[in-house]
Amino acid sequence: MRLVEDLGIGIDVGSTTTKGVLLRNGGAVLASALVPTGRSASDAVDRVLEEIRRSHGHDLGGTPMISTGYGRKQVELSNKSVTEITCHSIGVHTLNPDIKTLIDVGGQDSKVIRIGSNGRPEDFELNDKCSAGTGRFLEVMARVLEVSIDELGPLALQSTSPCSISSTCTVFAESEVIGHIGSGMTPADIAAGIHISMASKITSLARRVGVLEPVCVTGGVALNPAFRKFLSQNLTVPLWISETPQLTGAIGAAILALRQETQTSQ
Amino acid sequence: MTEGKEKVYRQLESNKLLQQIMFRYMLEGHAASEEHNLAWVTSGFPVEIPVAMGVGVSYPEQYGAVVGSQKVGPTVCGFAEDVGYSRELCSYARASIGAALKPEESPLEGLPRPQALLACNNICGTVLRWYDAISEITGAPVYLLDTPPLGDSQPEHHKEYVKAGVHSLIEFLGSTFNTELEEDKLHQTAGRSSTAIRLWTESLEACKSRPSPLNCADRFLAMAPVVSLRGTDYIIDFYEALLDEVKTRVKDGVGAIREERIRLLWDNIPPWFNIFRFFNGLAKKGVVFPADTYTHAWSGAIEGTDLIDSVASIYSNVYLNKGLDAKIDKMCQLIRDYDLDGFIMFSVRSCKRYSLGQLVSKEIVSERTGVPGVVIEGDMVDSRLFNESQIETRVEALLEMLL
Repeated sequence: MRLVEDLGIGIDVGSTTTKGVLLRNGGAVLASALVPTGRSASDAVDRVLEEIRRSHGHDLGGTPMISTGYGRKQVELSNKSVTEITCHSIGVHTLNPDIKTLIDVGGQDSKVIRIGSNGRPEDFELNDKCSAGTGRFLEVMARVLEVSIDELGPLALQSTSPCSISSTCTVFAESEVIGHIGSGMTPADIAAGIHISMASKITSLARRVGVLEPVCVTGGVALNPAFRKFLSQNLTVPLWISETPQLTGAIGAAILALRQETQTSQ
Repeated sequence: MTEGKEKVYRQLESNKLLQQIMFRYMLEGHAASEEHNLAWVTSGFPVEIPVAMGVGVSYPEQYGAVVGSQKVGPTVCGFAEDVGYSRELCSYARASIGAALKPEESPLEGLPRPQALLACNNICGTVLRWYDAISEITGAPVYLLDTPPLGDSQPEHHKEYVKAGVHSLIEFLGSTFNTELEEDKLHQTAGRSSTAIRLWTESLEACKSRPSPLNCADRFLAMAPVVSLRGTDYIIDFYEALLDEVKTRVKDGVGAIREERIRLLWDNIPPWFNIFRFFNGLAKKGVVFPADTYTHAWSGAIEGTDLIDSVASIYSNVYLNKGLDAKIDKMCQLIRDYDLDGFIMFSVRSCKRYSLGQLVSKEIVSERTGVPGVVIEGDMVDSRLFNESQIETRVEALLEMLL
């Protein structure tokens, strides 16, 4: 037998990937899953829940669940939806309570959040109008350079003389990259230029909120070592990264699901 | 009140009178046009002057709001875009140019044809080129009342310059419409305008009460006469009825929405095409907007013995003609006076003058007042620029910070 009130599920339906976390009261992640969102958010949620169920090995019916992310309202089984801004903030605060500034770079948006002492957001800025400064920007550039998205960061780190990409717009930057290829620049130098351009876009977003240390980076792009290096250089601060930066929003949602359960059972 | 328990949002009884007044405004505009006695005016124009001289007036900006409310912004703005106007141009301008080009395919068959175009650049610089474009279509001459932007206060030379412009306006109207300005009529018109503004301001200030008797959408609708019909006598009845209703709500502790939990400030023009859905959607979550920067902009009364001097002062000092500091001060003052928990700044793609500096203002207002705010992006008429789910995320995140 399991105690329902000891468990919480967080589902983060992002534009590129859907993440799920099963959390035990106290913070231990019992199971997690990550699948591409694809064309149907509700199908992706079903797959994530099935994977968590299989990995945990028990029925999860009745476990409190909170959904977040752009597709948060598509999760039929969730008790409540909460924005990704609050969930990321709570998630990071749980993993590292010292963090004051959170930079989340996802597949198709990026956000900067100033976290209050209670783990709640105090201020935030979002970039979700265009793909500049998001994972999509890197995906497009990786395709032009004929490398996988996982190879793009390590390639950039090999650069000895990064080229200049003046535009942060994905479409214009793509033209610039093609121009650099034509002029014989090496793929490593071009890849470095791409990351520097991306880091500069995120830096201006972060400065709008104000960069208070310690600073954390979450989202899939946090896994990219070149992005972390150039962003850290630009902001002139060290960056803290969790082991699973993509799951931060889902962890925050699971924490809120647990708290909700605690509140209702009191 | 049984109706209060069922509805999230409480309709105002005085809205019926409002509809009658706006219908009359439309009919009078057409009648004036047929008599070759109609001027189009910008929203910040000293309309008391043409009204006192017996000239009929129509407001393209108010027409833009109608186009937006009828959800045909993309179509009507599209008529202007088809002949080469950029999508970056103000959507009020595009709506009126589009309707002037294709009145038969536009709401109310467009605005009645003008015989003069009166622009005052105290609200933005676009008005001059916009009215030039309308002049090309209609043949009506343009008069520009130039009111250079102000800092903290109005220097004497600035006021003298604007006064000279007002005198020249009187000459322009005299020769264009074969009329003249009688001192008595100007006093009567200014008196009626001041009475309407005083009643309106009193209704706005009543929103300091908890619960607030009016929400944003109420004020955005009720502001139409004080914008379009200042100086006429029949709008006074409406503002008296509105104030009575507001006072009764305050006395009975009845709010504009069913359950008031969060009080916010609204900055900028509203998305006319989504006004009820947006504000009533938030009302369901207990969010009310007791104050906004837009409807508070028509608050200056023309008074004193030298009315031309008063006109030059009031119309130079309008909200949009002052620097960012004045706007920030006004927002902080509204947040304090109306005891607000946070603010939403609508960054209107069309209205650069209103939206410029919002990101900086947001930080300063938050810092000074200690309340959080959020900037959302969109447009007042052009619904193509309004991404509902992105706006929803930002607003929900703000509410999560407050709850």
